[in-house]
Amino acid sequence: MTATATKPAPPARNARGAGGPRRNREMWVLMLPALVPVLLFSVGPLLYGIGLAFTDAESGKNHVTGFVGLENFGDLLADDTFWASMRVGLIWAVTVTVLQFLASLGLALLLNQKLWLTGLARVLTVVPWAMPPVVIGLMWRLVYHPDAGIVNSTLGTDINWLADFTWALPAVIVMGVWSGMPQTTIVLLAGLQTIPKELYEAGEMDGAGTWRKFWSITLPQLRPIIVTITSLDFVWNVNQFSLVYVLTQGGPGGQTRLPMLFAYEEAFRYGFFGYAAALGVSIVIVVLALLGVYLWRQLREAS
Amino acid sequence: MRIKSALAAAVVVALAAGCGGGGDGGSSSAPDEPVKLDFLSLAWQKESVAANKQLVEEWNKANPNIQVTYVQGSWDNVNDQLVTSFEGGDAPDVIHDDSPALSGFATKGYLLELKDKLPAELKSDIPQSAWDTVTFDDGKGAKGVYGVPFLQESTVIIANKKLLDAAKVRMPTPAEPWTWDEFATIGKKLTKGDTYGVAWPMKSPVNKTLNLALNFGGTFFQTGADGKTTVKVGPQEKEVLQRIHDQLYKDKSADTSALGMGTADPLPGFFADKYAMLPVGVYLRQQVAEQAPDDFEWVTLPPLKGTGSEQGAVSQTLSVAADSEHPDEALKFISFFLNGPNQAKLAKGDWLLPTSQQAAADPAITTEENGWDVATASAKNLVVAPFLKVNGFDEWKSKVATPALQEYFANKISIDEVAKKLVEDGNEVLERYQR
Repeated sequence: MTATATKPAPPARNARGAGGPRRNREMWVLMLPALVPVLLFSVGPLLYGIGLAFTDAESGKNHVTGFVGLENFGDLLADDTFWASMRVGLIWAVTVTVLQFLASLGLALLLNQKLWLTGLARVLTVVPWAMPPVVIGLMWRLVYHPDAGIVNSTLGTDINWLADFTWALPAVIVMGVWSGMPQTTIVLLAGLQTIPKELYEAGEMDGAGTWRKFWSITLPQLRPIIVTITSLDFVWNVNQFSLVYVLTQGGPGGQTRLPMLFAYEEAFRYGFFGYAAALGVSIVIVVLALLGVYLWRQLREAS
Repeated sequence: MRIKSALAAAVVVALAAGCGGGGDGGSSSAPDEPVKLDFLSLAWQKESVAANKQLVEEWNKANPNIQVTYVQGSWDNVNDQLVTSFEGGDAPDVIHDDSPALSGFATKGYLLELKDKLPAELKSDIPQSAWDTVTFDDGKGAKGVYGVPFLQESTVIIANKKLLDAAKVRMPTPAEPWTWDEFATIGKKLTKGDTYGVAWPMKSPVNKTLNLALNFGGTFFQTGADGKTTVKVGPQEKEVLQRIHDQLYKDKSADTSALGMGTADPLPGFFADKYAMLPVGVYLRQQVAEQAPDDFEWVTLPPLKGTGSEQGAVSQTLSVAADSEHPDEALKFISFFLNGPNQAKLAKGDWLLPTSQQAAADPAITTEENGWDVATASAKNLVVAPFLKVNGFDEWKSKVATPALQEYFANKISIDEVAKKLVEDGNEVLERYQR
């Protein structure tokens, strides 16, 4: 990502390649202990999951699993609940990622100033990160509680947020933004601190105001960081499961049924393992496609 | 270098062995060692957990050769948990669940068929109508019994006695219950000022509406000559739907903001005279008795009558996993756990209705105190819920029926639209389970 810093890389690679087959074998032996767990626990299940997607695997002792080719994917394309879930998933992932980014950027800029108690504020920012998703879910359930929650008592409303068809998704999104902010803020803050002071000084010499400095120095300098963190956040958000599972279980009436919740239900509630695996594979494809387009555009603009 | 690669290889082998060897440990026990059983219990009310644990302890003391371990589960995720543990082959031996879940598990071959293994005493103590709630297709065309039913729930009306007295309404009795028409009139009468006649907590509307629909003969499912089950929403099914809807939007005697609530959520409003009547499961009496302010007077009223008083019933059950290594011992434990006196204890602990006839005669659950007499009398209205035998009901319920009914009760769609959704989208879901 930081193309300017890694320019001297190519010559080093040439030198390493000259080690010959013996050094190569040693390298493999040394890598083996690290490689085996990866193959066993990561690549293995992944391939198994992809394989499952082409079978009609179901729960049950009476069921004989057979190869069905692309049937699961065909069913998926014709399944209204799948499209509804994808729609919810995309609304969720895009809104959460964008809002998370904007809020975190603001927070990071604030924390980058020399303000009173910055140290304490920086620690507090990380708190949501330290909480397990299940605890976050439970906490927000209390926040949205129709009778005892602070949202209703502060706003003076009488809405059952998590059971309301209109409000459930926005309510869940707010929680998603909150819980993902620490990572984004920290990364952006780190990025802000790498921007050389000289650039700002030079800008001031040329008479640039605060906004001008932000648009012409901060943002362009942060760009690689922004691209990285938003793409990571996006993947993370598409695959979000536990937060929403604890908060709404996908309800009311599927209004917050993210794709991962949908896959979970298909597999472990209704027992259609093959179908759920097909769903998982499709989500991977969608994420890769969206990310591909995004990164390609960003990199092209950068160069 | 050689030594290093040998070492690395050894580590890999050890790792692989460690991973692969976990599955089949612990199966071989010496003959004189006690048999160990795991009992997954879903009891959650405090009294009920205590009753369960006490019975397990009693059994363990009396049977040193069969030791039972109490494992705490939760209704929220028990079926997801069971699917994974059945597939993984480490399911608990004795499983507490309910009949809608058994239906699917039976078809999938996860549970032991019990018909010929049940002791005669237990078999005759529980009426046939209750056994019907655990009799399912085994997935190969035969019928079998897949659990022992022990606790059942009926929907009664819990009401604020002072408000009823003030409105001078006729007090119903199990012999002469209110009709739905009477209920509507009384609901209107009780609605004044800040008080609503009724609160319908409809967070999970499906089982409630389907069970009540039987009052007017509404079954919601029909099985054709070809053996295919389809959804049916005709005039009989629409009766209860329409009547609840009328209370919400025509009579305005039911509070619309209670719709999103779970069963226990309207209680604070009930105690504060905001709602006069709650049509809820009998078990809610426990929370009412426990949480009501001292000067609050409440009564339990018998189930409503449409063309009949029948309500669909499901049962809480104990089953034995098909993979259990000690099925006979497990069944012995179940027979002890669910005998008459013990069922009375469990029913009392959970504030539900026992299936055992011996338990139903127990003075502890026929007293007038806390409405036990009315609750226990309502057991005679229970018949097996038609949806129990429907494969794919769970998916129909969560994907089609729950959202459709919620939208209908929220007045977003009309009765014909909800009927159309339930039938058309519903049949599509059921199709998947019938090929």
